[in-house]
Amino acid sequence: MHMPLKAISALLSYPTEELQAAKAELIEALGQGDLLTADLINDLSVLINEIATSDIYDLQETYVGLFDRSRSLSLNLFEHVHGDSRDRGPAMVDLVENYRAAGFEPASTELPDHIPVLLEFLAMRPIDEAREVLADAAHILEVLRTRLTRRESIYAPAFAALLHISGEVADQAIVAELLAVKEDDPNDLEALDEVWEESEVTFAPDPNAGCPQVRDMLAQMDTPRNAPPETAPAAAE
Amino acid sequence: MSHLLDRLNFFQSKRLDTFSNGHGETTVENRDWEDVYRNRWRHDKIVRSTHGVNCTGSCSWKIYVKSGIVTWETQQTDYPRTRPDMPNHEPRGCQRGASYSWYLYSANRVKTPLIRGKMLRAYRKLRQTMSATAAWKALQDDPILRASYVKTRGKGGFVRATWEEANEIIGAANAYTAKTYGPDRVFGFSPIPAMSMVSYAAGARYLSLLGGTCLSFYDWYCDLPPASPMTWGEQTDVPESADWYNAGYLLIWGSNVPQTRTPDAHFYTEVRYKGTKSAVISPDYSEAAKFGDIWLNPKAGTDSALSMAMGHVILREFHLDRQAPYFEEYTRKYSDFPMLVKIEEKDGQLIPGRLLRADDLQGKLGQKNNPEWKTVAWDEKSKSLVVPNGTIGFRWGEDGEWNLEERAKGKDTELMMSFVQEEDRDDVVGVDFPYFGGQATKHFVKCEHPDVMTKNVPVKRIKSGKKEILVATVFDLFCANYGLDRGLGGDWVTDDYSKDIPYTPAWAEKITGVSADKIETVAREFALNAEKTEGRSMVILGAGLNHWYHMDMNYRGIINMLVMCGCIGKSGGGWSHYVGQEKLRPQTGWIPLAFATDWCRPPRHMNGTSAFYAHTDQWRYEQLDVNEILSPTAPEGDWDASLIDYNIRAERMGWLPSAPQLKTNPLEVGKAAKKAGKPVADYVAEQLKAGKLEMSCEDPDAPENWPRNLFVWRSNLLGASGKGHEYFIKHLLGTDHGVMGKDLGEEGGRMPKEAKWHEEAPKGKLDLLVTIDFRMSTTAVYSDIVLPTASWYEKDDMNTSDMHPFIHPLQAAVDPAYESRTDWEIFKGIAKSVSEIAPEILDVETDVVQLPLQHDSPMEVAQDRVRDWKKGECDLIPGKTAPKYIEVERDFSQIYAKYTSVGPLLDKLGNGGKGIGWDTKVEVQHLRDLNGVVLEDGVSKGMPKLDTAIDAAEMILMLAPETNGEVAVKAWNALSEATGREHAHLAETKEDEKIRFRDIAAQPRKIISSPTWSGIESEHVSYNAGYTNVHELIPWRTLTGRQQLYQDHEWMLAFGEGFCAYRPPVDMKTIEGDFNTEEGQPHVVLNFITPHQKWGIHSTYSDNLHMLTLNRGGPVVWISEVDAKTAGLVDNDWVEAYNANGALTARVVVSQRMKQGTIYMYHAQEKIVNTPGSEKTGIRGGIHNSVTRVTVKPTHMIGGYAQQSYGFNYYGTVGSNRDEFVIVRKMKKIDWLDTPVTSTEAAE
Repeated sequence: MHMPLKAISALLSYPTEELQAAKAELIEALGQGDLLTADLINDLSVLINEIATSDIYDLQETYVGLFDRSRSLSLNLFEHVHGDSRDRGPAMVDLVENYRAAGFEPASTELPDHIPVLLEFLAMRPIDEAREVLADAAHILEVLRTRLTRRESIYAPAFAALLHISGEVADQAIVAELLAVKEDDPNDLEALDEVWEESEVTFAPDPNAGCPQVRDMLAQMDTPRNAPPETAPAAAE
Repeated sequence: MSHLLDRLNFFQSKRLDTFSNGHGETTVENRDWEDVYRNRWRHDKIVRSTHGVNCTGSCSWKIYVKSGIVTWETQQTDYPRTRPDMPNHEPRGCQRGASYSWYLYSANRVKTPLIRGKMLRAYRKLRQTMSATAAWKALQDDPILRASYVKTRGKGGFVRATWEEANEIIGAANAYTAKTYGPDRVFGFSPIPAMSMVSYAAGARYLSLLGGTCLSFYDWYCDLPPASPMTWGEQTDVPESADWYNAGYLLIWGSNVPQTRTPDAHFYTEVRYKGTKSAVISPDYSEAAKFGDIWLNPKAGTDSALSMAMGHVILREFHLDRQAPYFEEYTRKYSDFPMLVKIEEKDGQLIPGRLLRADDLQGKLGQKNNPEWKTVAWDEKSKSLVVPNGTIGFRWGEDGEWNLEERAKGKDTELMMSFVQEEDRDDVVGVDFPYFGGQATKHFVKCEHPDVMTKNVPVKRIKSGKKEILVATVFDLFCANYGLDRGLGGDWVTDDYSKDIPYTPAWAEKITGVSADKIETVAREFALNAEKTEGRSMVILGAGLNHWYHMDMNYRGIINMLVMCGCIGKSGGGWSHYVGQEKLRPQTGWIPLAFATDWCRPPRHMNGTSAFYAHTDQWRYEQLDVNEILSPTAPEGDWDASLIDYNIRAERMGWLPSAPQLKTNPLEVGKAAKKAGKPVADYVAEQLKAGKLEMSCEDPDAPENWPRNLFVWRSNLLGASGKGHEYFIKHLLGTDHGVMGKDLGEEGGRMPKEAKWHEEAPKGKLDLLVTIDFRMSTTAVYSDIVLPTASWYEKDDMNTSDMHPFIHPLQAAVDPAYESRTDWEIFKGIAKSVSEIAPEILDVETDVVQLPLQHDSPMEVAQDRVRDWKKGECDLIPGKTAPKYIEVERDFSQIYAKYTSVGPLLDKLGNGGKGIGWDTKVEVQHLRDLNGVVLEDGVSKGMPKLDTAIDAAEMILMLAPETNGEVAVKAWNALSEATGREHAHLAETKEDEKIRFRDIAAQPRKIISSPTWSGIESEHVSYNAGYTNVHELIPWRTLTGRQQLYQDHEWMLAFGEGFCAYRPPVDMKTIEGDFNTEEGQPHVVLNFITPHQKWGIHSTYSDNLHMLTLNRGGPVVWISEVDAKTAGLVDNDWVEAYNANGALTARVVVSQRMKQGTIYMYHAQEKIVNTPGSEKTGIRGGIHNSVTRVTVKPTHMIGGYAQQSYGFNYYGTVGSNRDEFVIVRKMKKIDWLDTPVTSTEAAE
């Protein structure tokens, strides 16, 4: 088992007293298998320390506030991939079938795309497969890392570590796009506007699109068939 | 060239065959590419379910499941067929339902039980050394600990908990509350059982076994039109949507069918192809307006002026100048038109008084049973006074003559409708009618005339002993009220439509803005069609009319039109009120399950509006003075009181229920009665009279009288229906609120006489708020404990609608996601926990339950006169002049055993509803056979099991006449005893039909005709309300047994509503005050209206991203271009709307659709979605209800008086909210109030 992945899976789970007590175990696990750098282990140790020494209720309130209540920090991977679309159901079906094909039956009440679930699974898979899966999700890991960093959350290093293990540098263009569109923290009105702005509807071909036939056709349609009567009131307004 | 070598000799080309004249061909080439699509649409199973939103559209959906995950849904298309010549019902479903599967896996879902961290921390610490109830007690007794979680409600701070722990805390809190204050301090609120009746029943069953209080919703939502019980003695019964197709003329009035009744709208579209004409009445150019052949856009809130003018035209042209034979016969047989009204004297003037009763006459016309409840008419055949069959006096205490046959004392009659002919009348006298049109506020047109109008009415003088009684027919008074000149001359009547006399079209044009000729045209066409088709004119009306303070006038104006045109009870005609689809079809089968009447009777019911008015302290801010609504013609009486005082009187006289009931814990009262060796009713009566017991209603702010625990399930009380939202937050919850106005103590104003005033209002009455929901709604955000429930594809349940005649299942396509459980299982868990914990402090106790005078019971003929025992006007007799007091034994340790089994009272007492009862031994035995019996020793041994939600559904189906033909026949036979007529033919052909849960899973099933409802299910007609009254001659459940257009209760007369009148919206006085700082700034004052939207149903779906994207992504309000200009607004600006009640923030949609003077905010857009902070209140902008405050109406409190008697969700005060105005202005800066996390509130 790749212990660092297992440890991060545990760290991203709902904090319990058992987790608090497992400080030494967790720190030791991070060092196994050379998956993480000393810096990262150091950053994660801060998280582990924080968990170990904080008041359990404060930790739990923070966790619920971050991961259960904020859509943009959801730990369900497909929330960020498929959002509300109908593809989400089939995508989860594929994932759960992957687990089963590898000989594991999901035994928790969490959905299959819950990141700690996925990490525990990957911890038991060949490292190349784990890397590949994480690399596929690199842009989401990066987005979560950025958002948590913005909130000065102690959880940010967990995602930095996962990115490191994936060996992938997230495509900044995609990340930027996700950060711009998906953020549901209404920090500023402009960002919110962009999320919800309605795009302009055009009901006909665009006359400025450079197609002369369309332009002529539209021009013809705009010309009234019958000339307006001479007695028509002057177009003052 | 020969082409020999081009041709294959031994092979055939891949083309095997062609079709469609060679345009198509079949091939055998590789089809692997299709697998992409096959995989995309693959599934393991398809399950039938539906969406139990507050909309009970009851649309059938196919839910596709693969590997235990819901992948998508599509509409089902297998409804039972309608008959030939009718369009099918399918496909049903709308854009909202089609996006539902999103909720299942949404990030907004509640995943585990959540508890406020501060509360859990304190409780756990105390629990280390104490029992569960002791720990809860210690937590409540420590003001600092209690405040630590009460004051942080709505501010985040949840932690996850296990089910065991959450159940333990709830069980401990309930047990402690029952022991300390009384079980009636445990409240529960859940709306619309029809949308998922087993889930509703789960909580209600638990509460009823505990002795807790179930709050009604229909009246609170203001979806109950009190005009319906007033007129018909019927909560609401309406035609199914398919019956629109049978109409010849459709008047769509304040309803927006294509937008809010999407799955039914096709019938409206289709019938127009048949030539049916449609008029649409809507202030704005709504979606429905586009369907109208003619569109009338009255000023919002003036509908009754419009309907009265239409009534004026119909009466003139179809009843007076020419008497349409159909209308005349119909109204003589089915309305109170021929009944006689006593003309009474007041200060030297004459006013219409009580309906003449047999009791008023010497010899009582030979009536020994209930003569004071038998109204009298003049019979043309015998030229004498008669007591026609069917009045409510015949319903109780005797059998066989409670019917609408045109008979009296066994003789045929022909009742006279008018004394206008010279030979029929003894005199013509001037009778006073009130006029309210001059009271309009500055936002409405004042059409000023005197407030009392004396009009000529033909009368008879009746000698009774030494007395002479002056009487007129309802019809003659009715015509005078409409301002129609009968050739008798005098003031305030006319035969000229163009005169400005109240209720002419010209008068209505001034008030409504609709031109007189349009009013005449629509009225004439509506009536003409009804005459030609014998009643196929229909009005579809909606919440647009019902949510005004004077909604009764809006409704009665329309009901009058329908009755005078003979449309009620006629296929394709009638009154289609679709506001809050309440229709719980298998109601009588459901009641024993829901209110545990199989174990103990009666349950504790409370009318929601009065409860919230008192307990959220909205009464402390009441600005509506009784003098503003009292009639100038009011009879003598002690009318000088506050609205809360009226409610207290109503509770005291047994008219309305109370919760809590007595200031003393009812378990203590039970003990004391036992100790005194007296029956509880006698003991309570004696103690109340002596002033040693006090009713809770008299002092709602005393800590003993606070509701202590509140369960909210299947509802978003704070996010959707909580009128006076900020008052809820301030007083009931005790956290940060946005109330800006001052209470009466600070502001000055009429102080209540009967309600005790505390200088300091309580803040945070609730010890515990538990919300059960699948999504983190606004209510959940404010709760102490949130329990995750199964969504609509994760539970077994049932769903019925008034829109179609089928009963439909919800089914668990997949197990509840995360740690959620079904409502049935959740309350089972709580029942188990309380059964284990309660013995710590509770034994087998004697509870004393207070019951108001119930409709459809002999108590509905309790008080023909208003007498208050406390004022010494009569003795206190429980069940007669005061509520009943009933002893109920509660064994708190057995709640779980009782919850999970069918109790013995069904065997002993049978079942029934709406005033009739029948034996149910056979059905209980069938349930034993079907569900299995309880084998464990204890109270439930040998009883049918109720383990699962399906067991519970089977109980409903087995006991309800609608789903068990054998029961239907029994029920009709029981009714026959009262009416003396044979009715069983309506169900006999279906006697062997028993619908089971698996049947409806296979296909939605059409229900069986039952006397619970006034329409029939048949192969020949669509369901239509009032059908059995007209065709089976079953009386309406009113005083006269007929459709009652004249209301003669003393309070109705006092408030000027004996007859329908135009009453302008009331002045809520919420615009003036220190908080109004707009002087000199661009702003506009607008009437605040909250219609239903296209992108949500109540608050469900309005936080769904699909729907948000289709709308504008957050809260919006709509205003007209003119108003936008006045306030300097352009489309999409952020605006703030506020008044004394609070503030809300939203984007503005500026649209030509809107009529000037109104602002729309679609109902229930959530606080949790993109709502910035308010500049006014400094906290997050509120929801639509932040600017509302509920105001109650005394006429809705009447009780013990025939149709005006209490029934749960049937009668009572209603939460109107449309008379409200707001100040609208542009927001200067937008603050999202989202940092730092710990200090944010509501939306994190």
